[in-house]
Amino acid sequence: MIHNLIRPTLALVGILGAIFAPPWVPLICMGLLAFRYPAWEVLFIGLLVDFLWLPAFAHGAPLFTIAGFILAWGLEPLRKEFLFS
Amino acid sequence: MNLYRQSNGLPSRLGPGRERKRLIAASALVIVLFVFDIFSGGQVRAQARDSVSSVWKLGVSAGKAVRGSGFFSSRAALEKENAALKDQLARSQVRAAAYQALKDENAALRGMLRISENELGITAPVVSSFRASPYGTFLVGAGSSDAVTPGSLVLTEENFVIGRVADVSPHSALVNELFAPNVSTDALIRGAGVSVDGQGGGNARANVPREVQVEIGDPVTSPVLKGRTIGVVGAVEEDPASAYKRVYIRLPVNLAALQFVYLLKQ
Repeated sequence: MIHNLIRPTLALVGILGAIFAPPWVPLICMGLLAFRYPAWEVLFIGLLVDFLWLPAFAHGAPLFTIAGFILAWGLEPLRKEFLFS
Repeated sequence: MNLYRQSNGLPSRLGPGRERKRLIAASALVIVLFVFDIFSGGQVRAQARDSVSSVWKLGVSAGKAVRGSGFFSSRAALEKENAALKDQLARSQVRAAAYQALKDENAALRGMLRISENELGITAPVVSSFRASPYGTFLVGAGSSDAVTPGSLVLTEENFVIGRVADVSPHSALVNELFAPNVSTDALIRGAGVSVDGQGGGNARANVPREVQVEIGDPVTSPVLKGRTIGVVGAVEEDPASAYKRVYIRLPVNLAALQFVYLLKQ
């Protein structure tokens, strides 16, 4: 039961953190989600942070979107190799 | 017990194929949204920010209702007293800094104040946290429908410039903080031209030639912002071996407690 709630809870905390909390909160949620699951939510949390707080994509790199892609796809081999039991 | 085990390529109960397909679809959707936003001139961003400003207002109202209900009365009383004292202290510092700035610049500033009185602007609520943005930005609840344009200066009640409007949505605007990390602004301290480097949280620092007498409380103005005050000197660090003094600048305003700002119309 609790096991099933971890992923949506982390995603929800990440989304609310993107709006209300310091940037390290969504970043940690993204990291935890990507480390444990092949979580598509990571990409949307990253995109949400950049949509909300980055003035325009021409003004700077969308760091959180890039981080989302790196975490979601970069951790794929690690997830395949090791998973929490 | 070994917490790790070979997954044999089975990342979840949904199976690798389905999860992978979802991830690929999400990646494609994110790229599409990203590209669409760029080509639509930021329509998706504007929608997101307008929604968030509504959520923020709702959250603030809910917070006030919970505090007002008396459920956390003892805690609320302490917090209220604490906030009142902090506010009183901040106001005293603001008054002192404003007085110093007025005294130093006298006639010139009076002229500028006359201009400022004639300049059009609007008061807008701050609809986001100052610490939520990784890019040193915050949202205000006024946008293109209120004739706010990119580049408009954002002032506190006491006429300190705290930022510039960077991006405008119909009902909200994104403001770039002047003292955001990695943001440099040309400024004057006691007549000496310096480059002020933002450090975040309403703090900045600058290097001033040793010959310039700088004291705590000196106003810092910026010629690129029509000579307006952007902060006050909070501390001065001198190194006998260096040709420069390190000056720490701060905003005498508690940014976290800021509820309204003044946006100058261009």
